[in-house]
Amino acid sequence: MKDPYVPNTAEIVNVKKQSHDTKTYSIRLVKKEKREEFRAKPGQFVMVSLPGLGEAPFSLSSGPEKEDSFDSTIRAVGNVTTALDQFGIGAKIGVRGPYGKAWPIEEAKARNILLVAGGIGLAPLRPVIKTIQANRGTFKHFEILYGTRTPADEIFTDEYDQWQRIPNTTMHLTVDSVPKGVLWPHRIGVVTALFDDTKTTPEDSIVMTCGPEIMMRFAAQGLVARKFRKDQIYLSLERRMKCGMGHCGHCQIGRMFVCRDGPVFNYLDLEGLPDLTL
Amino acid sequence: MKPRILMKANLSHFVDGLKREFRVVGPKKKGSQHVFDEIYNPESLDLSYVTTILPPRKLFTPPSESIFSFDSVGEAIPTAVDTRRLLVFGIHSCDLNGLLLLDRVFEHDYSYPRYVERRRNSVIVAMTCTSIGDTCFCDSMGTGPEPRKGYDILLTDLGDRLLIEVGTVEGSRLAEMAGSDEAQASDLALKEKLLSEAKTTFRKKIDTNGLSEIFEKNLDNPLWKELAGKDLACAQCVMSCPTCFCLDIRDKWGSNLGNTVRCVEWDSCFLLEFAEVALGGNFRKDRSARLRQFMGHNLSWGGVAQYGPVNGQQKCVGCGRCIRVCPVGIDITEVARELRGG
Repeated sequence: MKDPYVPNTAEIVNVKKQSHDTKTYSIRLVKKEKREEFRAKPGQFVMVSLPGLGEAPFSLSSGPEKEDSFDSTIRAVGNVTTALDQFGIGAKIGVRGPYGKAWPIEEAKARNILLVAGGIGLAPLRPVIKTIQANRGTFKHFEILYGTRTPADEIFTDEYDQWQRIPNTTMHLTVDSVPKGVLWPHRIGVVTALFDDTKTTPEDSIVMTCGPEIMMRFAAQGLVARKFRKDQIYLSLERRMKCGMGHCGHCQIGRMFVCRDGPVFNYLDLEGLPDLTL
Repeated sequence: MKPRILMKANLSHFVDGLKREFRVVGPKKKGSQHVFDEIYNPESLDLSYVTTILPPRKLFTPPSESIFSFDSVGEAIPTAVDTRRLLVFGIHSCDLNGLLLLDRVFEHDYSYPRYVERRRNSVIVAMTCTSIGDTCFCDSMGTGPEPRKGYDILLTDLGDRLLIEVGTVEGSRLAEMAGSDEAQASDLALKEKLLSEAKTTFRKKIDTNGLSEIFEKNLDNPLWKELAGKDLACAQCVMSCPTCFCLDIRDKWGSNLGNTVRCVEWDSCFLLEFAEVALGGNFRKDRSARLRQFMGHNLSWGGVAQYGPVNGQQKCVGCGRCIRVCPVGIDITEVARELRGG
């Protein structure tokens, strides 16, 4: 029997610095048949394996624009991630997946789309942006709200110009604070402060949000206060999946497994579950 | 095949025959308690046991096992699974239902192949419970005392003889090995009598009617904080649970990469680190939240809600081990009653 726990060997084919603690790794599965099998949807995640250090789950930050490889944008904060931070082009890692439920791209077709991202939470939403960019006619008005602690924490900064040039698209930025001497022409405040600048209304719209759970809480509550229905809002939750396949139990939230039933959830489906700050 | 009779005097001979084909594991005495262990000498098999220290899930997902090692460049070398056919002798209905639930957990779109292989490679000789333990409540959970499915053969202790009922084709073959004495109507009647007598002796019970919903309405019940005040978070309840399946997956360093292995080990939602995420985040930092997770998984959201229909509605199969092992006397049946309002 084929063992889904055995990772496939992959090679880091590019590393791009995003911020002081975050890099985007482009990863290519070594075996051709594995590359052909690998079909990830926006919002899904993979388990990255480093011999001796173990595994950790990472969402994909690339979308349909990549055929031969995929990107994962990773902040160096734990055992696996700080080790990865030492890795350069040509390094070999293990990868299994992709796992989990994707963003509701089908449902979003012919609708307005509002993305609300916080910090590294922009990474799992980037595949949505790339999908819209590649199929612009399929979607209506597109708006991106992005908040970070400081300007230095922003990721994908060199792509914002390109994203804003996607027809009928607006992007709004905010930071919690600006260090002295740093020029910041955008808003200051939490990401929900951007709602006043937002054009997207509840009519015919889908919201996708990813960031710290407390940020998503305020974002979702703020949108509901602005007459968005709960079922129009999708969130991507963070839990430390150990298996990604519904066996290990680490990502349970009540009856839900974040790996199996998420990480992308409809806000309505999370109602009444324990251990959420939402 | 019609039910058969195996005289107890011939049990050792039967087990000896099974041992030629199988690795036979059954209940054995260990101090004042019992354990599931390999039966080398048929005399060591003790079918009068009430429960075992660890449930038989240990035979299908061991407490700790290497799933693969790494070669010198980090490629995985799968660790072989014991391929001898396993025969579990004398498993009770609670534990058998536990396995049926674990089948749901470990075999679906994604399977845990080591579990699936071991299950496929195993034969189940189940046992009707005619003597109910102090902490047993399987009848409340719809999982006993008589196994209804999942066995190859089912034994019932009728005093000087064992009644053998057959559940599968493989079971028919085993029953033939046991001998050719057909059971009489009086044997079957005796089984029913013993069972109905046993059912009157349950001392613990849980009213499962609407329990999932009651639980979900009680997520903020002060009971969680109160119990967390005495709870040691020692995880003995989880380790002794036949349906707790949580696993940790981690690497164990050897002296070099070639000796390093990826391990799958039993884990517990009672442990502080269990729901940790990056940067020190922890979704169940408070002990009361971890206790609620264990109780909620067992009584509310873990059974049918998580995996679809199994025999019982809840994840808990009423084996009573968590009550027996708890050093501070936390009793899942009392928790269920309190949530209902006493």
